[in-house]
Amino acid sequence: MSDFLTRRRFLGHTSAAILLAGVATRLGPRAALAAVQAKVGDAAPLFTAPATNGTPVSLPSYKGKIVVLEWTNHECPYVRKHYETGNMQALQREATGQGVVWLTLISSAKGEQGYVTAAQADDLTASRKAAPTAVLLDEPGVVGRMYGATNTPHMYVVDRTGMLVYAGAIDDKPTTRRADVTGANNYVRAALESVSTGQPVKTPITRAYGCTVKYS
Amino acid sequence: MAIRLLAAALAVGILAGPALAAPPRPGGPPKVSVALISEGTSIEPGAPLWLGLRQRIAPGWHTYWLNPGDSGEAPTLDWKLPAGFAADPIVWPQPERLPVGPAMSYGYTNEVVLLARVTAPAEARPGSRVTLRAHVSWLVCEKICIPEEADVALTLPVAAGRPAPASTAPAIERARAAVPAPSPWPATLRATPETVTVAVAAPGLRPDHVAEAWFFPSRWGVIDHAAPQALTVDQRGITLRTARGALPEATATDLDGVLVVRERLDQGIVTQAFAIRATAAGSAADAAQALSLAAAIGLALAGGLILNLMPCVLPVLSVKAIALVSHAQTSSASMRRHGLAYTVGVLAAFALLASTLIALRAGGAEVGWGFQLQSPLLVGGLAYLLFALGLSLSGILTIGTRVTGVGHGLAARPGYRGSFFTGALASVAATPCTAPFMGVAVGYALTQPPVAALIVFEALALGLALPFLALSLMPAWRRLLPRPGAWMERLKQGLAFPLYGSVAWLVWVVSRQTGPDGVALVLLGLLLIGFGAWLHHATRGSGSLPWRRAATGIALGCVAAAIALGPLVTTSPSASSATTAPAGAAWEPFTPERLAALRAQGTPVFVNFTAAWCITCLVNERVALQSHAVTGAFARRGVVHLKADWTSKSPEIAALLASFGRSGVPLYVLYGGGGAPAPPRVLPQILSESTLIEAVEKL
Repeated sequence: MSDFLTRRRFLGHTSAAILLAGVATRLGPRAALAAVQAKVGDAAPLFTAPATNGTPVSLPSYKGKIVVLEWTNHECPYVRKHYETGNMQALQREATGQGVVWLTLISSAKGEQGYVTAAQADDLTASRKAAPTAVLLDEPGVVGRMYGATNTPHMYVVDRTGMLVYAGAIDDKPTTRRADVTGANNYVRAALESVSTGQPVKTPITRAYGCTVKYS
Repeated sequence: MAIRLLAAALAVGILAGPALAAPPRPGGPPKVSVALISEGTSIEPGAPLWLGLRQRIAPGWHTYWLNPGDSGEAPTLDWKLPAGFAADPIVWPQPERLPVGPAMSYGYTNEVVLLARVTAPAEARPGSRVTLRAHVSWLVCEKICIPEEADVALTLPVAAGRPAPASTAPAIERARAAVPAPSPWPATLRATPETVTVAVAAPGLRPDHVAEAWFFPSRWGVIDHAAPQALTVDQRGITLRTARGALPEATATDLDGVLVVRERLDQGIVTQAFAIRATAAGSAADAAQALSLAAAIGLALAGGLILNLMPCVLPVLSVKAIALVSHAQTSSASMRRHGLAYTVGVLAAFALLASTLIALRAGGAEVGWGFQLQSPLLVGGLAYLLFALGLSLSGILTIGTRVTGVGHGLAARPGYRGSFFTGALASVAATPCTAPFMGVAVGYALTQPPVAALIVFEALALGLALPFLALSLMPAWRRLLPRPGAWMERLKQGLAFPLYGSVAWLVWVVSRQTGPDGVALVLLGLLLIGFGAWLHHATRGSGSLPWRRAATGIALGCVAAAIALGPLVTTSPSASSATTAPAGAAWEPFTPERLAALRAQGTPVFVNFTAAWCITCLVNERVALQSHAVTGAFARRGVVHLKADWTSKSPEIAALLASFGRSGVPLYVLYGGGGAPAPPRVLPQILSESTLIEAVEKL
């Protein structure tokens, strides 16, 4: 500590060595990635991914409708909190009942936690009494990376014009405690209420909480 | 030693969730075993004791820091303490960067001890035993994540006196060493739509020694955690530029965080962590930045006006006041021209000073207002000048007629050049004084582009020139001045003494900068000037022309010799006044390390930014800082007085000044004590006993 802090007066030779060499090359690919990444307030990146029934689902086909994207991993304790309390399913029913399109995405790579085949995904929907419009299989993680999905659950809301209006957590209780579901401020529900009445979303960006998405 | 720590063996990792139709998950023992450990073998009534929550983490797994990063969750610690016991919040050791796919986590691997201070009530009964309990929950992740929780407990005897170190004391000590130290360096946070730059003004680091540096923000959304951080180390400090986080408004407020620096030293790589608070550019905390140009001009104008009353300007102005009375009978037009010439002189001198200052700063030098007086050469030169001026007022020197616009027959001559140079002289003499309002305005100016900076400096100059200009433009005001007469000669001679006083002060400044040898040289120079002046005066108007010419030649030779002594006056580092405090002094010399150490201990600190050439500073020291009432209040509150002496150059002091939006002294800053990093309080530039005592009592 003391050595680092020792007062040093080297004004005589002030060669400003800028250690950018290695960093510049590391910034490159990242910047390229960032260019296609989703940003709240911009148009939601367009994608097409296979649903569990094998048919491709593409975002542009839902133009004019509000779309919710839910990244999931059924083994993640945070996802389990919301499914085992019925919280996620209730929100799915509420939303789809109002004409909202709910797409559940699974970006876990094969062999990683949360990876499921189409049949297993359908079983999960049935056994958990879930009510998404469709479950999309994003095993290569292309859509997940495009949206910068880092967590499960990680939630996004796209408005009728195709603009991304919400990205982040499902609610404001970043825990695995089931008891925290009641009384939590559900950001997705609030965003849907605002969007359906044409109001701006009050809290458009929050820190998503949960397990990391198990990308390949 | 007889006391065994019942170290918390209750760590029962309860795997999350009831066993619904869940697919197989990694079962078995918990991935983290936790224990509550203590630094001491007992707890003292009324005194704090360091406890630690030790997490032993399975290989390959990690737990999380305060800001867990892109995913994950920080551990929580719910104390269940006996009545009267109080626990402080968790103190977090420095985290690691843990990349997981495209995301970044901040956390811990292997083993970590999260620290918390628990204080026993004063009425705790020695001899009794207390059990301190807590419910702990945490998330542990490898690729997959498992929430775990446990109840921990620790039973300790209550005993008077300092506790003996427990067997777990070294683990607590190691954890404390890994806690980021409060950084003495100011830091700023700047954002563009794409990037965020954290700049830490830690000057004097050797760029080639800094192997690596990372910034860990304490909250989510400010930076893209996973993005690389481009490191620049130069004489101004460490700058890290990275991609902006998702939360647009996150960069608008000050940001606490941890700077981890890995430095290459002879004995290998040393990692250190510093707690920093990066001030958001444009936030209210950055007053100098928040100023508009118009406000800065207003402040500069007011500051310039007040400068007229400062002890370093008054002697020069008194000279001009006499000139004004002398002019009282000349025409109004001539008066106006004198006033304008004086104003132009002030403006020109300030323009020259400001341009030099701006150019030097552009060149990377850490200089600020009054910088020219950091050179003993220029201080000596100013001493010569004021001495010559004093001799002229005493009637010993008459060349001043032309140079300074005072002396015999002034009223008879236009002497506009004299008025011009009086203005310039007043400006030069004004520089060691920082008037109220000026510090903020000058600090603002120096962060602006050159043109805006020059405008602010010229506003300052205009403020300085304004009283004289107003008198010269308003004939009606002049009627208030007394009639010229024989009294003027007496007054003029009397006013020489403030000038000699200024010379004495400047010589003292040289003594602080260089030591006895420098003083001897300057005094010799003054002697030569005095002799030259006398010789010139004595031979003037008498004797033959060749004789007068010879005398003038000798006189000029004396002045030349005095000036030639200048280069011999050099700063001797050993004489630097900042390095030692006299025995029994109520202050200590400032070093960034000392400030950091004191703040780490939670000791309140008063930092006095001063310089021997700053008259305002010296007045404040005499009037307020050295009074018994103030030193008493400091002692009562345990405030440590650090003196940051800027008499000679110091990049550390310049950097700390800059963090308060200042570029000159005086500046008085009071850091509160205790663990909470409350923002330091900036006190007024004109200190009074009552202001200081009030501020200290409020701590």
